[in-house]
Amino acid sequence: MTAPARPAVELEGIHKFYGHFHALRGIDLKIGRGEVCVAIGPSGSGKSTLLRCINQLEVVSAGRVRLNGELQGYREVDGQLHQLSPRQIAAQRRRTGMVFQRFNLFPHMTALQNVMEGPLHVKKRPKGEARELGSSLLDRVGLGGLGGRYPNQLSGGQQQRVAIARALAMDPEVMLFDEPTSALDPELVGEVLDVIKDLAKAGMTMMLVTHEIGFAREVGDRVIFMDHGAVVESGTPHDVLTSATEVRTQAFLSKVL
Amino acid sequence: MSDCGVKLTVDGRQPDRAAAAAENVARNRVAPRRHPGRWIAVVLILIVSTQAVQGVMTNPNFHWDTYAEYLFSPFVLRGVGWTLVLTVAAMAIAIPLALTLVIMRDSGNPLLKGASWFWVWLFRGTPVYTQLAFWGLFAVLFPRISLSVPFGPELFSVDSRWIVTPAVAAIVGLGFNESAYLAEIFRAGFRAIDRGQPEAAQALGMSQAKIWTRILIPQAMRTIIPPTGNETIGMLKMTSLVLAVPFTLDLMFATNAIANRTYLPVPLLLVAASWYLVITSALMVGQYYLERYFGRGHDVVVSKGGH
Repeated sequence: MTAPARPAVELEGIHKFYGHFHALRGIDLKIGRGEVCVAIGPSGSGKSTLLRCINQLEVVSAGRVRLNGELQGYREVDGQLHQLSPRQIAAQRRRTGMVFQRFNLFPHMTALQNVMEGPLHVKKRPKGEARELGSSLLDRVGLGGLGGRYPNQLSGGQQQRVAIARALAMDPEVMLFDEPTSALDPELVGEVLDVIKDLAKAGMTMMLVTHEIGFAREVGDRVIFMDHGAVVESGTPHDVLTSATEVRTQAFLSKVL
Repeated sequence: MSDCGVKLTVDGRQPDRAAAAAENVARNRVAPRRHPGRWIAVVLILIVSTQAVQGVMTNPNFHWDTYAEYLFSPFVLRGVGWTLVLTVAAMAIAIPLALTLVIMRDSGNPLLKGASWFWVWLFRGTPVYTQLAFWGLFAVLFPRISLSVPFGPELFSVDSRWIVTPAVAAIVGLGFNESAYLAEIFRAGFRAIDRGQPEAAQALGMSQAKIWTRILIPQAMRTIIPPTGNETIGMLKMTSLVLAVPFTLDLMFATNAIANRTYLPVPLLLVAASWYLVITSALMVGQYYLERYFGRGHDVVVSKGGH
């Protein structure tokens, strides 16, 4: 990234403990604007936890998370952290969009209502505007005409595309994808990956956790390999996926490739 | 469920061609199985039920003439009205109260949590009859209700008898008791919601209040309504306990009073039972529509998927 502005996402010395379990062990990571960072690694390596720290679904035990320069979750005065109010934290979360492994669409709302929910009830946009935005986003993810269906009337791939549209409706600065294709039947993976690729081309800043190594290579500007709560290797897709220097990376790749 | 083959085409994949193909399939012709057992059961049930109906209808001990005389008597109708008022008012208190208790229980504040737990423990753990008797004695136990600065001057005071009338005592007694049971039903309903739902709402930047009203409550309604309907029907019958207050205008008290006067308890028990049945049936209709509304997105048949 050549832009002089601060990176979109800055993670500084992130640690996360669950009781005595040390889930994240001092992670430093910067994601530039428009950059696509893909995290790979074995299950339980902390990839998803790291992602969830960025939008404060997990509270970090140590370290700082900054989004476009703004410290997340706290106000820092003379080295002392002061917790932000739930309202302020909610406002910070609006700047990121998240897509979950299990879609998490609201089952009591139609596809269109799911996409309109954020603009209408969080951003308080007028209904007509929200509807228009919702329809155009559903078109963008290839689901124009299916807005009236409930999630249980859609295939997994369609549901995940609605979930992406729902996240985009908040006009986020950063998109976070937590294993977006892991719960999908193999033949439905492609349609979701295509939507993500389009977003990458459009210059969206993204962090993805995935097991799709081929996709990581194709869409990632940078790939990080995580194991046991630490970033083991980080670099271009070629560096990490083709000419990995770390033994653990090589061992993991030999299993999944 | 007759032609599943056709319904599978709803994915939007050339339904016309698929339907045409389905037409061309020569379906298996199956001679239906005989069910002699069912016919025997039908005959037996017909005999028993005819005899039962005949035995009841022609039995002079049932005093059907008295039943007819009192079914629509103003005294009874007033009782029906009051029973409905008690049921609706008690549930109207219990439902928001139960919701509040559940939200308190979910809060991070240990005092709110504890208060909610204590409320449920107290009202669920003591007999409703005893509670109603206490509410009836409220004006005796606390002659004046007043608001005052602790250890300081009194700001406002009123005679309890004007506030806690027998009707209020009955409604509050039934409502508070019910709130404890409903709170547990509601809690179960909220626990059944997938954790990913509030997470997705948080990720959208929703406030906690919005998450409750937009995401959690509408989804919990689906599982909460059937047991709450059950509780409402139970409440209808529980109103007959308000004589503990004593409150003496409800349906059961009215029919009992007539029975004591006429020495004919059976036809008046039947009058009361008939009205309870009518109201319960009406409540069941309401419940059906509520369930249908809140079941949207869950109970819709896939083949109905619209655009």
